[in-house]
Amino acid sequence: MHIDRLERNYLIAVALVLGVFFAALIAGALVFGVRLPTATAFVNPLALADTQFANPGLRDLGDGKYEAVIVAGMWRFQVGTNEFSETGHEIMRVPVNSQVTFNITSRDITHGFMIEFHNANMEIVPGQVARQTVTFRRPGEYHVQCHEYCGRDHANMFFTIIVEDAAA
Amino acid sequence: MQAVSPAPKSEANILTFPRLGMLSSERALIGAHILVALLAISIGLLLGPAQAYRRAPALQWEIPVFSYYYQALTLHGVLNALVFTTFFIVGFSYFVVQRSLQRALASVTVGWIAWVLMFIGVVLAGFAMLTGQANVLYTFYAPMLAHWTFYLGLALVIVGSWVAGGNIFVTYMMWRRANPGKAVPLAVFATVANFIMWISASLGVAIEVLTMLLPLSLGIVQTTDPQVSRILFWFFGHPLVYFWLLPAYTSWYTMMPIQFKVPVFSDTLARVAFIMIMIISIPIGVHHLFVDPGVSEVAKVMHSLLTFVVSVPSFLTAFNIAATLERAGRARGGTGLLGWMLKLEWGNPVMVSQVLGMMMFIIGGVTGLMNASFTLNIALHNTTWVPGHFHTTLAGGVFMTYMGILYWMLPIMRGRKLFSRPLATAQAYTWFIGMLLFGISMGRAGLEGAARRTDVGSAQVISEYWAPWLNVTAIAGTILLISVVLLFIVVIGTWFFSKGDPEDPAPITTVAPSGAPLWTERWSLWIALIVISNVVMWGPVLLEGLNFVNGFWSVGYPMN
Ligand code: HEM
Ligand SMILES: [Cu+2]
Ligand SMILES: [Cu+2]
Repeated sequence: MHIDRLERNYLIAVALVLGVFFAALIAGALVFGVRLPTATAFVNPLALADTQFANPGLRDLGDGKYEAVIVAGMWRFQVGTNEFSETGHEIMRVPVNSQVTFNITSRDITHGFMIEFHNANMEIVPGQVARQTVTFRRPGEYHVQCHEYCGRDHANMFFTIIVEDAAA
Repeated sequence: MQAVSPAPKSEANILTFPRLGMLSSERALIGAHILVALLAISIGLLLGPAQAYRRAPALQWEIPVFSYYYQALTLHGVLNALVFTTFFIVGFSYFVVQRSLQRALASVTVGWIAWVLMFIGVVLAGFAMLTGQANVLYTFYAPMLAHWTFYLGLALVIVGSWVAGGNIFVTYMMWRRANPGKAVPLAVFATVANFIMWISASLGVAIEVLTMLLPLSLGIVQTTDPQVSRILFWFFGHPLVYFWLLPAYTSWYTMMPIQFKVPVFSDTLARVAFIMIMIISIPIGVHHLFVDPGVSEVAKVMHSLLTFVVSVPSFLTAFNIAATLERAGRARGGTGLLGWMLKLEWGNPVMVSQVLGMMMFIIGGVTGLMNASFTLNIALHNTTWVPGHFHTTLAGGVFMTYMGILYWMLPIMRGRKLFSRPLATAQAYTWFIGMLLFGISMGRAGLEGAARRTDVGSAQVISEYWAPWLNVTAIAGTILLISVVLLFIVVIGTWFFSKGDPEDPAPITTVAPSGAPLWTERWSLWIALIVISNVVMWGPVLLEGLNFVNGFWSVGYPMN
């Protein structure tokens, strides 16, 4: 098979560039800890009362580590707090630099979970436990949106995370 | 370039096609496909700008007729991305195969049967969508539930397209038998590869629809599994985008060189590119599931790696086509490093639409590699970045190339001159500018955290970070609306009113270049590789997603 010299050099360059890109991705995962959700556990969406999802909420694990158990449902995140915004949506407070592991599932259809300006992005699929660990480095108010279409009020399925300064 | 067929004259199926017209059998069958495709976008395209207005915080206008946002979005996705594309591709593929091989389809009757199946499918799915009983978007993930006519309709469209593909295979095999030792023309090679890929891939969605969604919607079964449905859908979903793309590549590789009157830079590497795409486009679909909870990180990394590999044939295409265009520009007296670009036909709608489409596709390719980068994906997944990206590929490169094809094909189909070359050219430029702005603004809004598939018009909270960008999208929508109007004027004008004879002959070559390699036509080997690669890459994903102990847990939720 004849390949033009220029074209061959071009292909080698393409291979090199792609190789470097991919190496950077692996490095991002291994060195900087940018991880993807991975298969963890099955859970019956119609029998959540028998699981950890019976009591959503934020638990302090010590050492600046937290676990948040959340149930998504049409069209609300049950976060387990008693604080609500003007629009009636949940507010969750965490201290700055805390490391929160989110354990989320859905009680009905597929929802999404995305914290603005953070490496937190998951599909919340009924039957599955979605897990992701997020470190909150900057104080502020962050919008958490359901980003998977889930019916009529999908646009208003959200809650807020307030990252509080240690001094406050 | 209509060379006389070298095949033996004893064969019954040999046809000679008119240069600037169509045989009546050709016109009816292909015309029926193009007609449905155009009817689909006559609704589908108009919804696009309406969605952009609804999503712009400064406007938040209700969508005319389809006031429920997600009904409109379902129609936009299904009509544009599934109905328009499938009908256009089948019609175009028939044309390419018949003309390149200088023979009729193996069976024109079967061609009509396929059309009828697909058409009934569109009517059924259309009924469900128009009556608001299928607001499930074009990905219809379980356990969202639509009316059963929606699923049956989509299944019929797919089955019809299989019949069409089978017809094409048999036509090719009959030619193969009559022409031993000769390589098939590149355009037919690409078409056969495309349908092999399509049929393999759509098995996934057919299984999803026929064993999970249709029985659930009919009440035959009570439960389903959302993760498994997503896995089966994306087995199909990624090759789906290549199914749209390969006809565009076919035009770039085999038709533009004829239209520019230069040979393609490398016919052999083009074949290699098509083989690579046919095989590798399926075992990479997990890149749509990067943030799904039920798929292991290992599978995600492996599919990400192969996604990088499948970009190689596209890089190859970029090189090949750029080199071909450079030849064309230089043949017209263009000089200097980039001076040849000025000599391309910037006032010819057929060329402008394709060349601008290609340029847009380069942006789409680069942003696509970003999506495929599993760590970056966390920042992008389900944000408006994603529609921003695929409107530069699908609604950009692919759609513009299809319009470029339409601008020579419609005239010879109707036996009329293209209604207005200046308006058609203006359509291409406005589409390019509008879609570029659309891609940039939606992309930027996504990076600021705007979620896709959300009815911003009904949202209680609007972020100051992305609001300005979605307002820019509305401007892009307006430019695109102008372009859509121009498109309809040109299409309706060409269909019914224009006077004079067609000007652009069908850019089809009937022979492969001497030295075109025969080994590329070892289809059974390629099919074996498709099977093996998917068992390896998808098998574990499916097994992991299936809950063997408890079976299916989820009940359906009608989305009325
Ligand atoms: C007139 C030009 C167009 C405009 C202004 C436009 C606008 C839009 C907008 C704003 C969205 C995002 C809606 C959302 O996420 O909430 C969208 C989605 C989409 N568009 Fe377009 N579009 C146009 C043309 C096209 C074309 C030509 C195609 C395909 C051939 C297409 C296929 C799609 C698909 C598949 C989606 C995704 C639907 C979904 O998320 O379910 N669009 N479009
Ligand atoms: Cu939701
Ligand atoms: Cu939602």
